[in-house]
Amino acid sequence: MNIKLVLKVLGRVELVVAASMALPLACALLYGEDIAPFLWSIAIILCVSLPLSFLPTHSSFFLREGFATVGLIWLFTGVAGGLPFFFNGGGGFNTIWDCIFEASSGFTTTGATILTDIESLPKGILLWRAFTHWLGGMGILVLATALLPSMGVRSHYLAQAESPGPVFSKLVPKQSQTSKILYSIYCVMTAVEVALLKLAGMPFYDALVHAFSTAGTGGFSNRAASVGAYDSAVIDLIIGVFCLLFSINFALYFLVLQRRIWEALKSDELRFFLVVVALATVAIAVDILPQYGSILQSLRYSFFQVASIISTTGFATADYVLWPQTSQYILILLMFCGACAGSTGGGVKCSRMLILLRTIRREIHQIAHPRSVEVVRLEGKVVDENTLRSVLTFIGCYVLILLGAGLIVSLDDVSFSVSFSAALTCLSNVGPGLQEIGPVGSFAEFSPLSKVVLSVTMIAGRLELFPILVLFSRRTWSRS
Amino acid sequence: MKEKEKEKQSLKVVIVGNGKVGFSLAEQLVKEKYDVTIVDMREDSLRRASDALDIMSIRGNGVSAATLADAGAAEADLLVAATNSDEVNMVCCLTAKHMGAKFTIARIRNPEYSMGLNDLKKDLGIDMIINPENATAIEISRLLRFPSAANIETFCRGRVELMGFRIQEGDFMAGKPLYDLSDQVKRLSLLFCAVDREGEVTIPNGSFVPQVGDKLYLVGRPASLDQFFRLLGRYTPKVKDVFIAGGGKVSLYLAAILEKMRMRVKIVEISEERCRHISETFPHTTVICGDGTDQELLESERMSAADAFVALTDRDEDNLIISLYAMQQGVQKVVAKSNRQNYAGIARAVGLDSVISPKLITAAQILQVVRGMQNSQGSVMNTFYRIADGSAEAMEFTVRDTTRHLRTPLKDLHLKNGILLAVIMRGREIIIPEGSSYIQEGDSVILISRGWRILDLNDIYEEEIPMPSAASLNGRG
Repeated sequence: MNIKLVLKVLGRVELVVAASMALPLACALLYGEDIAPFLWSIAIILCVSLPLSFLPTHSSFFLREGFATVGLIWLFTGVAGGLPFFFNGGGGFNTIWDCIFEASSGFTTTGATILTDIESLPKGILLWRAFTHWLGGMGILVLATALLPSMGVRSHYLAQAESPGPVFSKLVPKQSQTSKILYSIYCVMTAVEVALLKLAGMPFYDALVHAFSTAGTGGFSNRAASVGAYDSAVIDLIIGVFCLLFSINFALYFLVLQRRIWEALKSDELRFFLVVVALATVAIAVDILPQYGSILQSLRYSFFQVASIISTTGFATADYVLWPQTSQYILILLMFCGACAGSTGGGVKCSRMLILLRTIRREIHQIAHPRSVEVVRLEGKVVDENTLRSVLTFIGCYVLILLGAGLIVSLDDVSFSVSFSAALTCLSNVGPGLQEIGPVGSFAEFSPLSKVVLSVTMIAGRLELFPILVLFSRRTWSRS
Repeated sequence: MKEKEKEKQSLKVVIVGNGKVGFSLAEQLVKEKYDVTIVDMREDSLRRASDALDIMSIRGNGVSAATLADAGAAEADLLVAATNSDEVNMVCCLTAKHMGAKFTIARIRNPEYSMGLNDLKKDLGIDMIINPENATAIEISRLLRFPSAANIETFCRGRVELMGFRIQEGDFMAGKPLYDLSDQVKRLSLLFCAVDREGEVTIPNGSFVPQVGDKLYLVGRPASLDQFFRLLGRYTPKVKDVFIAGGGKVSLYLAAILEKMRMRVKIVEISEERCRHISETFPHTTVICGDGTDQELLESERMSAADAFVALTDRDEDNLIISLYAMQQGVQKVVAKSNRQNYAGIARAVGLDSVISPKLITAAQILQVVRGMQNSQGSVMNTFYRIADGSAEAMEFTVRDTTRHLRTPLKDLHLKNGILLAVIMRGREIIIPEGSSYIQEGDSVILISRGWRILDLNDIYEEEIPMPSAASLNGRG
C-alpha cells in the first residue's frame, strides 16, 4: 500500500476540517465567547497536517488505498473534531474519550451525546457540534474533492468508499463536478430549511443549528429537550419533512433539476421508503393514541418520531421510551432499515432491504422451480450477481458487527435493551436508543472502552463497514 | 399470356446469402421463372444451389461493390440481402441501392436493431425489412390465441380469418356431404375453401364428403369461426399458460407478444447465459435453465399443466419429438418449429398439425412483394398466404376500376378451374359470395387459388373456353 500518499491525502483533508472551524470561531467571536479552544485546535491540526500534505509521493492510488484513506481520515477526523470540546471542557466533556465520542457522533451524523448539561455550553461549541453533522452528512471527502479537485489521486475511489448505498454512480462524468452538484443541492436545501424555521418562530441561531443537524440527519440540538423544547406543531412538521427530504437519494433531486420528475417518482427505493414511513406512522399513531387522546396529536408525535428515526436523525419531540413496547419495537426496526442510498442518512439503506427482500422471493421461487433462472431488479435495472453478493454480505456483516459491539457494551453491566440499542443506534447513526439512553438520556455513563468501541462503530456504520474493516486486514497494509 | 411470360423473365432478382431463407426463396422464384442470381461466400453452398436450381451463382462478399456489380445489382429489380449478419445485409442494401437496384429487402433479426430501424430504413436504402423470427413469433401467437385451429391467417386487419383444422373421429361433419350440414352451421358466415386429403388439395363443393383425417380450410368472420368450433365441440378455452422449449430469438419475440397478451410464459433454455439474458428482458417470464428435451425436467416443471406447448429449439428433430411427447402428455395446443418440410409431413401424419417454418413464412413474405411488383398497374394484392404446404394460395386484392366484369353476378362469370372467390369485403360488411353476388370498385376480395399464379385480379377469369367453373358451383359451407 502507498502509505505516504494516504498520509498526504489525510493531511489535506484535515486542512479542510481545520478551515471549517472558522465558522464556529466566527460565531464565538460574535457572541463574545472564548475563542481559545478553536485557535488551539486549529493550531494543532495545522501542525500535524501541513507537513503531511506536502509529503513527496508517487501516484499509485487504487481502491485499496481509497478505502484505507477514507477509513483513516474518518478516525482522525473524530479526534481532530473533538479538540475544541476538549479545550473547552464543561457540560459533560470530562475526558478525551468523551470528546472523541461526541465528535465521531457529530461527523458520522449519529447524534448520540455524552453531554448531560447541553444548555450550559457556549454557542460556538454547540454550533460546531451541529456543523460537524452538516460536514459529515454529505461527506468530508466529497467536500474535499469538490474543493480540491487535484488531490493527485483518483478521487472516485474516495467518493466510492464514502458514499452510502450498494451501487456507486456519478451524476456527471467528472467526480469534482458531481461533488459540487451534490453540495449545491445540499446547501440550497439547508438554506431553505433555515429560512422556514426562522419563519416558524425559531431564533436564527437555533434555526441554523437545527438545519445543520437535519441536513446531515444527525440529531444534535442546542436544547436539552431537543425539538420538543419549542413545542410547536409547525416546527415539528418542518423538521420532520426535511428529515425525510434529506434521507432521499440526492441523485433523484438531480433528476428533478433536469425536469425528469416522473422518473424520480418512479424510483423503487423512494416508493419503498415512503410506504415504510406511512405504515410506521399509522401503526405508531394507533399504538400511542391512548396516551395522547387525540388522533391529530398522536399522528403529530408519531410522524415526527418515525421521520426522525428512519432518516437516522434522532431528534425527539416526545420521550418515546415511555411509549408502548410495540411502538418502540417499530422504531428499532426503522433504525435497522435506515434511509435511502445516496442520502445523508444511515442504516442498512432501503435499497439493500429491497434487494434482500427480492432475493428472498427469488430463493422461494427457486424451491418451486429448482432450475429456474431469475434476476433481481432494482429501479428497473438488473442487479448483477456481484452486487447482490456484496449486498447480502453487507447485511450479514452489519448484523455481526451489531451483535459484537453490543457484547462489548454489555461489559458495562447494562440491560440487554441498553446494550443492543446502543450498538444499533450507533451503527445506524441514529442517536438515541432505549431506556437510559433514550431521547432524554445520555451516553455519559458508559466506560471509556464502550465509548471508543461505539465511536468506531459509528464510523463503520457511516462508511458502510468496509473502509473500516479493511484497516483490520493484514493484506491492506502489505507492500505487495 | 406469352407476353406475361416475357415480363416475368425480365424481372431480375439478386439474392445475397444462400442460407435457409435465401435458398428456399430462390427455389420458389425459379419455379415462377424469374432470373435469379445468388451471391455467397461459400463455394460448396453455391455449387449445391446451382446443381439444384436454374440460377446464376456469384462467389464473393455481399458488401463488396465489385461482387454486387458482377451479380448485376445495378439492373436488378429486387435485391434480397439474407446473409447471417444484419450489418452485412444493411451495407449490402445500401450499396445496391446506390448502384441502381429498384427494390431492396434486408433480413434484420437482431431485436436491438428492429426498434429504431424503421426511421433509418430510408437512409440505409432498404425498402423492406424482413425479420423471420419476429414473423414466426407473430404466427405462433396467433395460433395460441385461437387454439382450436391448426393454422390461421388473417385478412383485412383481422376482420376475416382463414383457419385450417383436421377432421377427427366422431366429428359431426365426417362422412356427410357439405350440403347436408345442419342449418345451425349453414347460418354462420363462413366458407369451406380448401381441403387437403393426404397431400391432395382440392376446392370442395357442396357435394364434398369430409372424411376423418382430412384437413379443412375455413374462411370467415372470427366470431363465426369461434361459433363453428363450439358446435364442433372443439372449442378450447383461452390459453393462459404457455410452455416454450428453447430460448432463441423466436422465443424472445414470442415471449414479448405473449406477455402483452397477459399469458404466463415459461421458457426452458439450456444455456445459463442465455437464461439470464431472457430473464433480464422479461421480468414476468419464468426461465428454467435446463435441457428442453429432457423429459424428467419437463415433468418436474409440470409441462402437462400448461395450456400450450411450443417447441422452438434449434433442432427440428428435437422439436418434433418433444412436441409429440407434449401431445401424449395431454397438452391441448402444441406448436413445433421445423424448417424441413419433409419432417412437417411426418408430423402431420401423427396428428401434429401446427408445424411452423420460419423459412417458408419469410419466403412467402418476399414472394408477396415480388408479385406485387408485377401488377403495379392492376389491382393491388394486399395479403398473400400459402396454405396446405404451399399447394394452394390465399390472397387478398383490392378491386380497382381496371378490374373487369365489375357488378356482374358470379353465376354469370367464368372463373378458372381451381380459383375460388371466397369472401367479398364491402366497407364493414363481410359477404360470403353466392351466385347473385358481384364485385364492385373498392371491395376487397379473398381468393383461393390452386395451381394458378394470380398476379392480378383479372387473372382469375377464364378467357378462352367459357364453361361453368368450380367456384360458381361451390356450395356454401
